[in-house]
Amino acid sequence: MTKKFETICITTGPTEYSDYVTLNIGPIHPAMHGTLRVITKTDGETIISAKPEIGYLHRGVEKLGENLTYTQFLPITDRLNYCSAICNNVAYEMAVEKLLGIEAPPKAQLIRMIMMELARIADHQVCVGILGVDLGALTPFFYLILQREEIYEIFEWHHGARLTNSMGAIGGVEADLPDRFHEKWPKLRDSIRKANDETDKLLTHNRIWMDRTIGVNAFCGDDALDWGFTGPMLRACGVRRDLRKDEPYLMYDKVDFDVPVGKHGDVFDRYMVRMLEMEESIKIIDQAYELYKDFPEDAPLMKKVPKIIKPPEGQIYHAIESPNGELGFFIKSDGSDKPYRIKIRPPCFMVYQAFEDLVKGEMISDLIACLSSINVIAGELDR
Amino acid sequence: MVRRPVVKKEYSLGERVYLVEIAKGLGLTWKHFVFNVKASFRKGPHTVPTCWQYPEDRREIAPIFRGAHMLQLNDKGQELCVGCGMCARACPAKCITVKRGKPAKGEEDKYAGKTMCVSFEIDILRCIFCGLCEKSCPKNALVLGQDYELADYEPEHCIYDKDRLIANFHRARSEGLLKPPPVPIPVEAPPAKKKIAQKGDEKKGSSGKASVKGGKKSASNRKGEA
Amino acid sequence: MADWQIDLIKVVFIWTWALLIAVVMTWVERRASAMMQDRVGPNRAGPFGLLQPLADGIKLFTKEDIIPKRARKILFILGPPLFAIPAFSTYAVVPFGDKIVIGGKEIILQVSDVNIGFLYILALSAIAVYGMVIGGWASNSKYSILGGLRATAQLISYEIPMGLALLTIVLLYGTFSLREIVLQQQGTFLGVLPNWGFFKQPLGFIIFLVAAYAEANRVPFDLPECESELVTGYHTEYGSMRLGLYLFGEYVNLGTLAAVTVSLFFGGWGLPYIDMSKFLGPISYGIASFLVFFVKQAFFLFLFVWVRWTVPRFRYDQLMGLGWKALIPLGLINLFITALLVQLTV
Repeated sequence: MTKKFETICITTGPTEYSDYVTLNIGPIHPAMHGTLRVITKTDGETIISAKPEIGYLHRGVEKLGENLTYTQFLPITDRLNYCSAICNNVAYEMAVEKLLGIEAPPKAQLIRMIMMELARIADHQVCVGILGVDLGALTPFFYLILQREEIYEIFEWHHGARLTNSMGAIGGVEADLPDRFHEKWPKLRDSIRKANDETDKLLTHNRIWMDRTIGVNAFCGDDALDWGFTGPMLRACGVRRDLRKDEPYLMYDKVDFDVPVGKHGDVFDRYMVRMLEMEESIKIIDQAYELYKDFPEDAPLMKKVPKIIKPPEGQIYHAIESPNGELGFFIKSDGSDKPYRIKIRPPCFMVYQAFEDLVKGEMISDLIACLSSINVIAGELDR
Repeated sequence: MVRRPVVKKEYSLGERVYLVEIAKGLGLTWKHFVFNVKASFRKGPHTVPTCWQYPEDRREIAPIFRGAHMLQLNDKGQELCVGCGMCARACPAKCITVKRGKPAKGEEDKYAGKTMCVSFEIDILRCIFCGLCEKSCPKNALVLGQDYELADYEPEHCIYDKDRLIANFHRARSEGLLKPPPVPIPVEAPPAKKKIAQKGDEKKGSSGKASVKGGKKSASNRKGEA
Repeated sequence: MADWQIDLIKVVFIWTWALLIAVVMTWVERRASAMMQDRVGPNRAGPFGLLQPLADGIKLFTKEDIIPKRARKILFILGPPLFAIPAFSTYAVVPFGDKIVIGGKEIILQVSDVNIGFLYILALSAIAVYGMVIGGWASNSKYSILGGLRATAQLISYEIPMGLALLTIVLLYGTFSLREIVLQQQGTFLGVLPNWGFFKQPLGFIIFLVAAYAEANRVPFDLPECESELVTGYHTEYGSMRLGLYLFGEYVNLGTLAAVTVSLFFGGWGLPYIDMSKFLGPISYGIASFLVFFVKQAFFLFLFVWVRWTVPRFRYDQLMGLGWKALIPLGLINLFITALLVQLTV
């Protein structure tokens, strides 16, 4: 009786068109941003299916949060989106402050804004540079990364570290803007613009680049909203949503800036949205700097919080507009000094879910372009 | 089913012929090339202006850079560390081990405090250089210096004990790279005391307990929150 | 000295010269690309990093030679030499300079002046395609296969526009032999312009140059071996000197294409308005013509490097579209116009 059952099972297995080639674009690959894996089935060069696989950089960050105090968790948030670590820090600090029911003083908010916009510029520089590298244009990357070094210097003089910043503390920031910033900013603003111009000259009107990126991975705005896209990906699809405008936090309602919105959601639109956002960030920093100058030297930089932070019982979700999209922290506290649960909403997780829909029917080269333009950062994706 | 928006590509004449834009791009790279070739014949550090020739050129490191640790001595040469273990408790990576003890008879003036650390170990391989230990030290004894060249061949050499940390301090002092003492930042004062007077009325409304007891508890809670 | 001894010396000299150009090209590529990208490039091995190619060569020789277990062993071993040998052999018909007189004998600075000139070069480049395909297929790896397939299609498709551009040259000069073509390019035409093929055939030059980039697998046409997509394509599984043969063969190929461009379109070893043989002695004339040819070839080699680091690369179907839908019609139109003009002026 069991044998009959077995034979029936074997012969009625699923059948597939066996001429499709399974190509594993594995966790170790020159074009992978971090450790991602895509298992594609291709018919020649056209992609039939592309299953993404994540988890190669999973470090148990959310579980770590249950065993570390609120102050100790701050350096761990650096390592999420390591291209712009400050945004993660500020998002976490603001979430805990919301739970505690306090708000950072206005001068600290301005400093946080300035640093976050610098981190946004840095992140976009990396993303556009890597997009160029994956598509064969290796030179703009170097022009952009050079400016990122200058931004690193400002970070170093402000809080002591270049990449894994751990900026500020719960309650505000720990240092005023350094002298380096006052000296460097006028020149840095011009040199960032110049590097962006050079990248523009090399890429935007170049027909090879346009052929490669226009119309590739075009995506509808409705589909994007269904999947949960946020950030430059969503804005490139034509949906105007930016948390800095829709739900202003810090002092974004006091500065004036535009939100660049694309049309078709293809790689070219994502690239242009990022380039234009860099320009907008420079405008924000200028205006925030003007507002900052109105504050006296000894304006408070931090709200007084106890050494051991014990928020009252409750739960909070707070999200900010990180360079990649909406980065959210959900913190549930049970009154002790360690959180009961921290959940992080990574922006690129929602986008990477839709990867198969993005690349179905395109070619392998387009898969690589898509992966670069999404700006998947494995640290944030896997936590 | 994936719906894709239809994208029409429109090129201007200059863009259709690939060569015009490619020629412009070539001009840009040529400018960079000439500039850098001329610069590479200059004498002095980092000849190509954007490229530092490590290890001959080293960047200027900020004084508040978070590098390798050091245990500081005060002006009289006494060790500042009292072995309280606040740093070990604050460390997220749990890489500091501190053992407190009393100084031996006759050696009390080697130490600035009444107690000292018998052993103090930092595992550099676990450290994430976040600086929380430095912030939590009450005596400003443990600071993060400017040393970032920490690679070694043996993992055992990367567990810094007290002697190594004090040697780091001496080396930093001889190079003039000591960390300046932390500048206290202006902190917004906690909410004024008159809130406690109002507290009794508010809390009575919400919890319905006796005013005195409810007032005291809510006062301490409120301070913790603010 | 007998003729065959002179030819043997020429063969050895040209072969060494080709290798030397390839070796120096690796250095030029790395330094020039670094200078364009605001960085320095190798500068530790020797002054200005000039011994870096030597270090690379030693590294490649001393690495372990791995043959994957499931690879087809014979074809795997056959692939690299099949790619590199035609690359070297094409140097045999390249005219490096004019005559040089040593010991009373007039020697032309060309290994052999066959009358099928660049047909020989085209034929050998076609054999080089086999080297890539066999290497890609024998490695038994999906990335290599994809690289090999792309290489086949690309190189075969771009031989046609190259052939069409070369046909116009034949129409103009009436001969396949490279030396004859260079000799016919001395002097001026229209009174002002040098008699170069570039001024007589601008469209042909552009078509030939684009096809040359495609034949040499250089950006923007380097899909068969692009790093970001295929993890170096058809030479993914190769290591040690087999990889060295692929890499050096590629640079030697570049040298050949640059040399052919110079001979066909830029007057070979002659200076534009000056006839050097009038004021230089026989030996120095030979050396001077050799140097002029080398300077022109060096400019085109630098152009290969320069374009590589400026432009992104094509996608596969756009590349094929460019070859078949843009270059071939342009080549045919060019052919008709040239034929018409030649008929009207002759």
